[in-house]
Amino acid sequence: MRVGIPHFGNVYIPVKAMGQRLGASDKELIIPPPTSQRTLNLGVKYSPVEACLPFKLTLGNLIEACELGADTLIQARGTGICRLGYYAREQEQILHDLGYDAHFITLDVSHHKFAGILQLIKRMCNDAPWPKIISTFRFGMGKLFALDKIEKVVQKTRAVELEKGRANQIYREAIKAIDEATEGKEVKRATKEYVGKLNRVPKNPKADPVKVSIVGEIFVVLDPFANMDIELELGKLGVEVRRTMSLSRWVKYSLFLNPLGIDEWKEVHKVAMPYLKRDVGGDGWESVGEKIVHAREGYDGIIHLAPFTCMPEIVAQNIMPSTKEDIPVLAVLCDEQMARPGMITRLEAFVDLLKFRRKRGRI
Amino acid sequence: MIKVGIPRALYFYQYYPAWKTFFEKLGAEAVVSPPTNKVILDSGNLRAVAETCLPVKVFFGHVISLVDKCDYMFIPAIRSLGRKAYHCSKFLGLPDMTKAVVPECPPILDPEIDLNEGRRNLQKVIYSLGRHFTSDKGEIKKAAEEARKANLAYRSKMSDEKITPVQAIDGAHRDKEELDFDPDITPTLSLAVIGHPYVIYDDYINHRLISRLEAMGARVFTQEMAPQEALEIAMARLIGKPHWSFEVDVIGAGEYYLEAKVDGMISVAVFGCGPDSMMIDVVRHRAREFKAPFLHLSLDEHTSEGGLVTRLEAFLDMVKRKKKECPLITSPYLSGDGRERICV
Repeated sequence: MRVGIPHFGNVYIPVKAMGQRLGASDKELIIPPPTSQRTLNLGVKYSPVEACLPFKLTLGNLIEACELGADTLIQARGTGICRLGYYAREQEQILHDLGYDAHFITLDVSHHKFAGILQLIKRMCNDAPWPKIISTFRFGMGKLFALDKIEKVVQKTRAVELEKGRANQIYREAIKAIDEATEGKEVKRATKEYVGKLNRVPKNPKADPVKVSIVGEIFVVLDPFANMDIELELGKLGVEVRRTMSLSRWVKYSLFLNPLGIDEWKEVHKVAMPYLKRDVGGDGWESVGEKIVHAREGYDGIIHLAPFTCMPEIVAQNIMPSTKEDIPVLAVLCDEQMARPGMITRLEAFVDLLKFRRKRGRI
Repeated sequence: MIKVGIPRALYFYQYYPAWKTFFEKLGAEAVVSPPTNKVILDSGNLRAVAETCLPVKVFFGHVISLVDKCDYMFIPAIRSLGRKAYHCSKFLGLPDMTKAVVPECPPILDPEIDLNEGRRNLQKVIYSLGRHFTSDKGEIKKAAEEARKANLAYRSKMSDEKITPVQAIDGAHRDKEELDFDPDITPTLSLAVIGHPYVIYDDYINHRLISRLEAMGARVFTQEMAPQEALEIAMARLIGKPHWSFEVDVIGAGEYYLEAKVDGMISVAVFGCGPDSMMIDVVRHRAREFKAPFLHLSLDEHTSEGGLVTRLEAFLDMVKRKKKECPLITSPYLSGDGRERICV
């Protein structure tokens, strides 16, 4: 069995770590090359025209995995309203038409998540004993949490660093170090080391960066290729980016705390209630709620990311302007037509607007 | 008398007779907006976010046209109409989106329909909807029962008489005279038109597609003209359990009519429709396997009538030629078998 996975942000790092722990060789666990223009072109060429960007990108990844010889592919699946439930079915058909006889394994991300993921790992590694699987899983998650922890520091440092690009360079080194770590202890040591390095980056002491929150559909928010490195670009403009959504948070809550009845979005849903009464699938409800929460928390602006034609986010977009809280929202729709210079121009204009509002507020 | 506004958009085409019966039995009057026109489309278009799909923009337009004509606006939030099969987000967000986009809208009646929650939940939803008109539980129950019967009668009328919802609701087609429709014309082709009812029956947004095809000499079949069970069986055979409740409208009808060997198939979708971007591809793939002529029309508010007509004419020409089983035009130098080369 040669397993291939699609890319989604840094997910490949914990997956690779778990694979190596369980003794899978490079032939058995195929991580496709990082998402590139070629990936996108392949995805766009073979997808239905109006499919959303995550579909096209993951299809491109899977094609590249098949080219490397993968015969079993993993794809997420959710029940409910969004197109995600259709991904595996449609992609299997497309790959079949292309002549790849790959078998799909779907990972249900809306029900039985924890047990489902563990069982999937067990199935993949020919029934290794449970203790080994659980320790492997912990190791993988350790990497995931470490990456997100460093990213949080990077988001803050980018905005105030004196030498632009320094934080990002350290961040890239950190990703590499964590990817290469083979022991839990090493991961912890690397995290500490790189957080320290980031804290020592020379900063502008007078800087008071504008704070922007990023909300929207989880794939385009968390995948730097899909959103054209929007956080990096904002950092270059001297903006402090904060986002609630992260993979480690998703894992923490949906695998461990939600089954215990703790809902991380409870507060967000509560404030969204007067404007949107029910879950509309995807992350639409959360987008509306987060706008209100972040406006109250004193953020300067919101950037709303969504794939073009994403149904839940269109609902959110229609509702957002009607909320009482007055905060600028920039909607950025991601698709294959998006170009970096166009996006940067929009970001610059948006950041100017935020700075102007701040000044006006102080007078 | 309390007036309840029902926009002539989205689920109107499937459930209007049931809704009308329900409200009238409870002593209210059902006020329906006029068929879509330019004013309605433009007023909805102006208010909604640009990425919103055409039917939802049209829906807002209908709501705006009803604003000062009714006391309540009836906009159900439909989560699910079948086991473990859901609806597009926009149906769920519809009442709240309307409130945000059309702030002057009268109070919205927004029952949340979710058949996954079971019969009892549905009854509760119906009671709380009926309570706006009467406090008598028995009366609400009776009205709901009447509505159910009206819906069944409506469905069987369409499948028995082979007519479209518009014909069943309004009587004869409005536009036939306008298109020089010859009533004595005998249809020579059978064409299946698949898509969401709110796209294929809204004559304004699809530029009178069905009457146009009929005027060109085609007998048009839509999903309402086939028995519901047959559509469900066809869909189950092809894809198993549906993911969306309206998959039966598109994939079920597509598979059913492909197996019934229609001469050609036209799928109609609006630009940016999430579910259709996936579903149409399944049907297209099937049509290729059946070697059936297949045309996909993607509509938006800019679709020009002239372009659409040209495409329909070209498609019908192709279907006619295929039906006569003529070989395509080939070069006389390449084929020496003496077959007839050109026919019309």
